[in-house]
Amino acid sequence: MPSMTRRQLVVSGLVGCLSVPRAMQAAAPGGAGGSRRLQAPAPGGAGGGSGPAAGPSGRAGSAGVSDSEIVLGMSAVFSGPSRGLGIELYRGAGAYFEHVNRNGGVRGRKLVLRTYDDGYQPDPSVENTMKLLLEDDVFLLFGYVGTPTVTRVLPLLKKLQDSKAYLFFPFTGAQPQREPPYGAFAFNLRASYRQETAGLVDNFVRIGRRRIAVFYQADAYGRSGWAGVRRALEGHGLDLAGEATYRRGTKFSASLRRQVEILKQSNPDAVICIGAYAACAAFIRDCVDLGLHVPIANLSFVGSENLLNLLVEGRDDAEKYTQLLVNSQVVPSYEDTSIPAVREYRDFMQRYRPQVPRELVTEQYTPFEHSFVSLEGFLDAKLMVEILRRLGDQPQREDLEEAIFSVRDYDLGIGERVSFSPDRRQGLQQVYYTVVDDGRFMPLDDWQGRLA
Amino acid sequence: MKVQKLFRRTQFGIFLLFGSIALSTSALCVYTVDTHLSKEYESNSKAIAQVIADASVDIMLNRDLSALQSLVDQFLQIQGIKYIYITDESGEFVAHTFVPGIPAEIRAGDPHDMTPIERSLPGMGDFVEVGSPILAGVAGAVRVGMDTSLVALKIQQAIGQQAYLISSIFVLGVFATVWFVNLAAKPLGQLLAYAVHLASGIGRGDESEPGAEFGALLERDDESGQLARLFQYFSRTADPGKLQRDPTPGGGSW
Repeated sequence: MPSMTRRQLVVSGLVGCLSVPRAMQAAAPGGAGGSRRLQAPAPGGAGGGSGPAAGPSGRAGSAGVSDSEIVLGMSAVFSGPSRGLGIELYRGAGAYFEHVNRNGGVRGRKLVLRTYDDGYQPDPSVENTMKLLLEDDVFLLFGYVGTPTVTRVLPLLKKLQDSKAYLFFPFTGAQPQREPPYGAFAFNLRASYRQETAGLVDNFVRIGRRRIAVFYQADAYGRSGWAGVRRALEGHGLDLAGEATYRRGTKFSASLRRQVEILKQSNPDAVICIGAYAACAAFIRDCVDLGLHVPIANLSFVGSENLLNLLVEGRDDAEKYTQLLVNSQVVPSYEDTSIPAVREYRDFMQRYRPQVPRELVTEQYTPFEHSFVSLEGFLDAKLMVEILRRLGDQPQREDLEEAIFSVRDYDLGIGERVSFSPDRRQGLQQVYYTVVDDGRFMPLDDWQGRLA
Repeated sequence: MKVQKLFRRTQFGIFLLFGSIALSTSALCVYTVDTHLSKEYESNSKAIAQVIADASVDIMLNRDLSALQSLVDQFLQIQGIKYIYITDESGEFVAHTFVPGIPAEIRAGDPHDMTPIERSLPGMGDFVEVGSPILAGVAGAVRVGMDTSLVALKIQQAIGQQAYLISSIFVLGVFATVWFVNLAAKPLGQLLAYAVHLASGIGRGDESEPGAEFGALLERDDESGQLARLFQYFSRTADPGKLQRDPTPGGGSW
């Protein structure tokens, strides 16, 4: 860890590095923001951590590593309309970490996940990252959620590049952490939004749906998806048919009829949503209610089960809201138990029943037994543990790159092999497509028959 | 007291003066705040647009548009900025902050025109929009919409503060005027009473010394004291018989 203090960081121009005028570094917009900390390993119900908040005692030579534990840092959304994403990702990762800890840890060291809530807001995520790296002295950052948050954290990692602080497997498919100048400070497991949107556009165009409109979140995440769709359409010599936006944090109870009216004017054949589940569910509801009956696609970030839950809960006519729904995923279906990692995931979720500690969750939330997001968290944790094992008995931040670049054709158990190299900082490339059948997300095999 | 009639015009004048001051300073205040704030607003907007344009060059040429959107979103936190949009060299909107969509008025605008524009967008309000080219316009342009209702709010606040100050001064002025008028009226009243006292004494042929209540008046070294002493002198030298034959022109009797 560098000797640089938080104050020195600010003084030395961190704010400038973030491209934000100092005056704009004010507290986060209301509602989303408080940072609550949890240190969680997973043992004993994925919650109670061990080790003091000030960092592990008995250091073994590197930040966040002691003789008994390795501390990882996580900032994610655990409050607000998108809290399901952080909670599910945490639960999936927690299930695997729990299993590892109960079986002796990583080379005798338990894994501790020190976690903060950023409410899916950029400023708190930057603040949390500074706490994690400069005060809590974590070994590495893991499982951040969201594009607007991660894009603001990346310059901080660049500023701290001498300390080799890396972000592993953020839950976002945006480009900034995949390309210069910040790509060197993050490692991704999931496919990118560019790949997801390209796949959706290609399939829609293939079945004759060429007028594609976009409904997106008015921030970096939405723009990333918007750019992906536009880029994919350009590949087919097409333009966006229309576009409408919503504000981050929009709830399901909000009316999105104006957005629907705007898109209806463009007479689209299909709509691709780049958003989180609450707003996307509200949009789909209003589309159906206002007679816009076209396929509506969502990206993996949406939180498919949360979306479906909102659409069908308390409805007798739920099918009309889900029949034209198609969601892209970056992990295979958790219903497919022929996949070894899926069986393992289901087993660990059943066995350990990971829960986000109550201190961190202040709003009502009922977790899903299985979900795409928690499966992704599970796979993230599995690869993370493999990398930590490859660091040997004396884990050092300086060795992290070498450890991850040694991952070649690694079998995570989902069929697709994982490889990393200096030119390949994304482990998985495959995108899966799902539709709702019998109230569950099932693989979409026949685009023509289902959506043409 | 009869003598206070003398000051009624003075009091009226004070009211008139304060009213004039309040009106004129308020008008000046509105003009100054409006003019200066609008100019400053426009100037700041241009500076912000320029900053975004400068920061956008590298992003537009080398990086993903999500980074550009992230940059734009941060500037939206500045008070007064209501929207920002960036167009590329072809005029396509590559980043913006509009919800639920880009207004038709904005879409209809000339993407190459950098002249400040006053816009009224339905459902959004009134704005001053300023622009700045990116890479001399080769890579596109940035436009920033500043909410003019903020200027109106500032004017209201300035006028409110002005009115508060003037009102406070006015109330203080009224109390001070009453106090000063009373201060000036008191010796005049005493002088009047003394004159009456002298006249009644002369009429009766009684030229005795004035009572103790007028001693203080005769001791004063201001105009009241001098007049009192003058009246005393006249009363001592006056011919009572003549006074009875030749009453005052007003016909009054003492």
